[in-house]
Amino acid sequence: MRIPCDWLKEYIEIDLPAEEIGRVLTMGGLEVEQVVEHRDEAGGAAEPVLVTSVTSNRGDLLSVVGTARHLSALTGRCLRAPSYSSPATESPVTADRRVELGPVTVEIIDAEGCPRYCALLIEGIQVGPSPQWMQARLEAAGLRAINNVVDCTNYVMLELGQPLHAFDFHLLADGHVIVRKARAGETLTTLDGIDRRLTPDDLLICDPGGPIALAGVMGGASTEIHAGSTAVLLEAAHFHPATVRKTSLRLGLSTEASYRFERHVDPNLPLVALARVAELIIQTAGGQIKGQAIDVKTRAFSPRTVTLRPARCNALLGTDIAPRQMSDYLKRLGFEVRRANEDLVQVTVPTARPDVQREVDLIEEIAVIHGYDNIPLTIPGKLAASAVLTVEQRTERRARHILRACGLNETISFSMISPRDLQKLGLPPGHPQTNCLSLANPMSEEYTVMRTTLLPSLLAAAQHNINQRVTEIALYEINRVYLPQEGSELPSEPKRVAGLVTGSPFTARWNMPRSAELVDFFWIKGIVEQLCEGLGIQELAWARANHPAFHPGRCARLLVSGRDAGVVGEMSPEVQQNFDLPEKVYAFELDFDLLIEKANLTNVYKPLPRLPAALRDVAVIVPDTDEFSAARVMETIKAAGGEYLAAVEPFDVFTDPKRIGPGRRSLAFSLQFRAPDRALTSEEVEAMMEAIYARLEKELGAEVRKTQ
Amino acid sequence: MLEQLQQLADEALAAIAQAEDEKQLEQVRVKYLGRKGLLRQLQQGIKDIPAEQRPAVGKKFNEVSAQLKEAFAGRQEELAARPAVEDASADRVDVTLPGRTLRIGKQHPLLATLERMTEIFIGLGFSVVEGPEVENYYYSFEALNYPPDHPAMDEQMTFYISNNVLLRSQTSTVQVRAMERMQPPVRIIVPGRCFRRDNVDATHCHTFYQLEGLLVDEGVTFADLKGTLEAFATAMYGEQCHMRFRPDFFPFTEPSAEIALTCILCGGKGCRVCSHTGWLEVGGSGMVDPNVLEGVGYDSERYTGFAFGMGIERLAMLMHGIDDIRLFYSGDMRFLEQF
Ligand SMILES: [Zn+2]
Repeated sequence: MRIPCDWLKEYIEIDLPAEEIGRVLTMGGLEVEQVVEHRDEAGGAAEPVLVTSVTSNRGDLLSVVGTARHLSALTGRCLRAPSYSSPATESPVTADRRVELGPVTVEIIDAEGCPRYCALLIEGIQVGPSPQWMQARLEAAGLRAINNVVDCTNYVMLELGQPLHAFDFHLLADGHVIVRKARAGETLTTLDGIDRRLTPDDLLICDPGGPIALAGVMGGASTEIHAGSTAVLLEAAHFHPATVRKTSLRLGLSTEASYRFERHVDPNLPLVALARVAELIIQTAGGQIKGQAIDVKTRAFSPRTVTLRPARCNALLGTDIAPRQMSDYLKRLGFEVRRANEDLVQVTVPTARPDVQREVDLIEEIAVIHGYDNIPLTIPGKLAASAVLTVEQRTERRARHILRACGLNETISFSMISPRDLQKLGLPPGHPQTNCLSLANPMSEEYTVMRTTLLPSLLAAAQHNINQRVTEIALYEINRVYLPQEGSELPSEPKRVAGLVTGSPFTARWNMPRSAELVDFFWIKGIVEQLCEGLGIQELAWARANHPAFHPGRCARLLVSGRDAGVVGEMSPEVQQNFDLPEKVYAFELDFDLLIEKANLTNVYKPLPRLPAALRDVAVIVPDTDEFSAARVMETIKAAGGEYLAAVEPFDVFTDPKRIGPGRRSLAFSLQFRAPDRALTSEEVEAMMEAIYARLEKELGAEVRKTQ
Repeated sequence: MLEQLQQLADEALAAIAQAEDEKQLEQVRVKYLGRKGLLRQLQQGIKDIPAEQRPAVGKKFNEVSAQLKEAFAGRQEELAARPAVEDASADRVDVTLPGRTLRIGKQHPLLATLERMTEIFIGLGFSVVEGPEVENYYYSFEALNYPPDHPAMDEQMTFYISNNVLLRSQTSTVQVRAMERMQPPVRIIVPGRCFRRDNVDATHCHTFYQLEGLLVDEGVTFADLKGTLEAFATAMYGEQCHMRFRPDFFPFTEPSAEIALTCILCGGKGCRVCSHTGWLEVGGSGMVDPNVLEGVGYDSERYTGFAFGMGIERLAMLMHGIDDIRLFYSGDMRFLEQF
C-alpha cells in the first residue's frame, strides 16, 4: 500500500524523516519496500510516500490509521486516534436480519457471508469533482480521482481500512438492499462494464430486481453514482474473507475492496467509517443525512481475551523482559492489559486483530515491539549425538566424485518436460515411461508432465551446446523421476543417474590418431564400470539390450545382482536426428537407488602378490554371434582355468573373412596364473592351459589357436 | 710439498670417481695427468726443495702417478661396461604445446553451495533428511497451519497435479513428515527441489532449491534460532557476515522472521544488488507454531522448536557472481566447466 507521509502524520506525532520511518516499520514487521517522492499534478511540493508490503495476516495495516497505530507501538510516539461519529451512527437502528427505516430496507439472507451490513442515506448531494487536496492524496496513494462521492468512499477506505460502496439510491428498486448468494444463471454487469456470470458461491448485494453489486469485490454498473445522482446509499459491511476470496479468485478480479476483505477488516469499523464518510461527503458534495444509520448485525463482535504467562514468553524467546515491560508493549498496540497476578496477564485484543488468538501470538507481538535485534544469540545446548551423513548420502557423494573424475560435468535440469520430449526419445505410445503425471495448471507447453526419465533433458542440453558450437560434451545428472503408482495418490520418486558424452574427452587433440580421440560405446560403458567399481558393487553383468532410444547394435543392459540396473549405449540415429545432434552421442541411465543399495564403501585390503604371475595367451575363433559373446568365452576360460587363473583380459578382437572365414570372429586373451604361496612350474601352467583349450573346444566348439 | 701432493691425489681420485662418461673422464685425465697437467706442474717444483729430500718426494710422485693411472683405467673400464646411453639432447619437444589428458568434470555451483551449507549444519548437529517433491495438500498446507482459503496460499503459486496432489513449493512440507517419524529431539536439515508458478527470467525460475532446518526439543528458544543462523552465516561467509531477523508472517511459525545476510558484495555498506540496504534476504524462519507441533502429537507446552528455510540459488549466484538464474538449468558446458 502507498502511504503518503503527510497523511500518516495526521495520526501520529512523529518528526522522523520518511526514510527512518521506513526503516522502523520494516524492522517492525511492516515492510516498506521503498520511499518514493510524489509530486501532484498541480505541481505542489514533493511529498514522500511509503510503499508498504503487508503480510497476509495483517489486514489491519492496510490503512493510514493502522500504519500510524503500528508506528506508534514501535516508537512509543503518541497516536492521535480518530474517533469519528455522528448522531446518526451513534444511535443506529439495529436488528439481526432486517431493518426497514423510512425509504430504506436492508436485509441479510446470507449471514455467513455477511455477518454485518451498515447503511446510511444521504440526500441532496451534488456530484462533481472532489476538492484538490483530496484528489492529490488519492493520487499519491495510487488511486484515480472519479467524483466527490466515490472519492470520499475511497479516501475513507485508505484512511481507516473499511471498504465502502456508494449506490445511487434512486436507481435502487424499492430502496431495498438484500444480501444473498447468487442463483444459478444470474449475471451482473460490474462497474468495469464486464458482464459477469455468477455462481451460487458468489455473495451478492441485490435489490428486488436482481444483483446490484458483487459483495466486497465490485459494484454494479446499474446503480453507479453519476453526474445527476442526488441521493447516495452508503454501504459499510463486514464480509466473510473466504467468501470474497473465492469470488475474486474465480473471476480473476482483485480490487482494493476484495484485497482488504480477504485479509479481514475490523467488524466494528463500519459505523465509524460511515460517520467519517458522511462528514466528508457533506463537506464536499453537500446534502444531509436522512434519518439514522441502519446496522443489521447478525451477531456480536466482542474482543477476545487471551492469557499471557510472562515466564513462558521469556522461555520461548530466550529473553529476560520484565512483565511490566511486556504489558507496556501490548498497551501500545491498543490491547487492554490486566495483570491477574505475578504470573498471569489477561489481555483483551481488539477486533481489528483476528490474528492474535493465542498466547504465542501475544508473545510474537511482544517480540516485535521489543525488537528482534534485542533478542540475544545463543547456541542450542543439548547436542544429543553428533550428526553424520547416512551411508546412502555418503554413497551419493562418492558417486558424484567418480563421475566427475570420469570427466562428466554435473548438471541439473527441470523435473517437468513435454510429452513431445518422450516422442523425440523414440518411445512408442504405451511404453511404460510415457505414463507420466500431468500438471493441472502448467505454465507453458514445454513443461506439462513430470519426467519419467532423465535422458530427454540431457539430450536437450546436448542440443543446446551443439547450437552454441560446443561439440565436446560430457554431462551427468543425479535426480528424481516421478512414476505413477497403482493405489497411491503420490508417485514414487526413485533417483536416476544419467550421463551423456560426445566428441573428445581430451584437453587437447593435436597429433592424436582420429580413432583414439573420440568417445565411443566402450568409453561410456567404461564410465559405468568405473562408477560400479568405485562404489564397490559386486556381481555386475552385461547383456545386449533393445531400447527404443538406443542404437540396436550398440546398447547394453547392466545387471546388478541379476536385477535390471539400466541401459548404456549409443543413441539411435532417429534420436540423434530428433535432437539435431550431428556427431554420435553416447548415454546411460541407471537406477541409482539400486546402485546405492548394492554399494559397499568399506574397502578391505587384499595382500599384494609376492610372486610374479605366469603369463600365457590364447586365441579362439568362434561364430560371430551374440551366443558366442566375449563374456561367454571369458567365463568358459575362467571356469576351466581353476583357482590359480588370476586374470583374463582381451587384447585382440577382429573379424576377417579372408583370414578366418566369413561369419567368424577371433578373440585373443592374455591370462595370468598365480598361486598365493609359491611359484607355479611351467608343467603346472601347461596343464591348466590344456584344460582351458579342451573346455573351449568342447563347450564352444571353438577353434583354439595355441600360442606359447 | 708432500701435503700438496696428497691433496692433489685426493682431488683427482674424487674427480675420476665422479666422471659420468668417457668425455668427462678424459677431461679429468688431461687436467691432472696431462703433459701440462697439475701433477706435472707440481713436479716442476721438485728442483726447489733441499737435495736430501728429493728422493723421497720423487718416490712419492711415482706412487701417486701410478695410483691415479690405475684409478683412471679402472673407471674407464667401468664406464665402458655400462650400456651406451643415447645422447638425449637432440630429442626435445615443444614444451609450450598444450598438455593432453582427460578433462575432469566439475561440480555444479548450486549443488556445491548446498553441499557446503550441509556441511556447516552437520557441524551444528543437524542430520540430513529428504522428502517427496510431489506432495499432498495435507503436508503442504493443512499440517503447516495454513488457514483454509487464505491469501497466504496465493504466495506459494503452487503447481497442482490434482486437487489434492501438488508440487511442493517449499521444503517445509518435510517438517511434518519428519516429526511424524521421530520423537524429540528432532534436529534435521532438508535440502531439496521446490516448484512455484513463477515466470522465468534472470532472477526467477519455476524450479529452485531450498535448505530447510528444524530443531524441536525441550527449551528451544528464539535466541537459539538467532544464534544458530548467525553461526551459519559466519561459517559460510566469514566473521564480518551476520544474519538479520525481521518480523514476517508464515502460518507454520510464530513468531516468524525473515532472514537476511550481510550483503557479501558490498560488505553491508549498500549497493545495487542489495537495494542499498546492506542486507540480502535469503529466507524465512521462526518458532514452530504450536498447532504444527500438536498436529504431530507433540506436547507444545513441553517442546518448542525453530524452523528456517533458505533459497540456494541466490547464495550461489552471489558467491560466484552469476547474473542469470537460468544458467543453472542450461546444461551449458561453457558455464559448467567454469566451476
Ligand atoms: Zn550490497
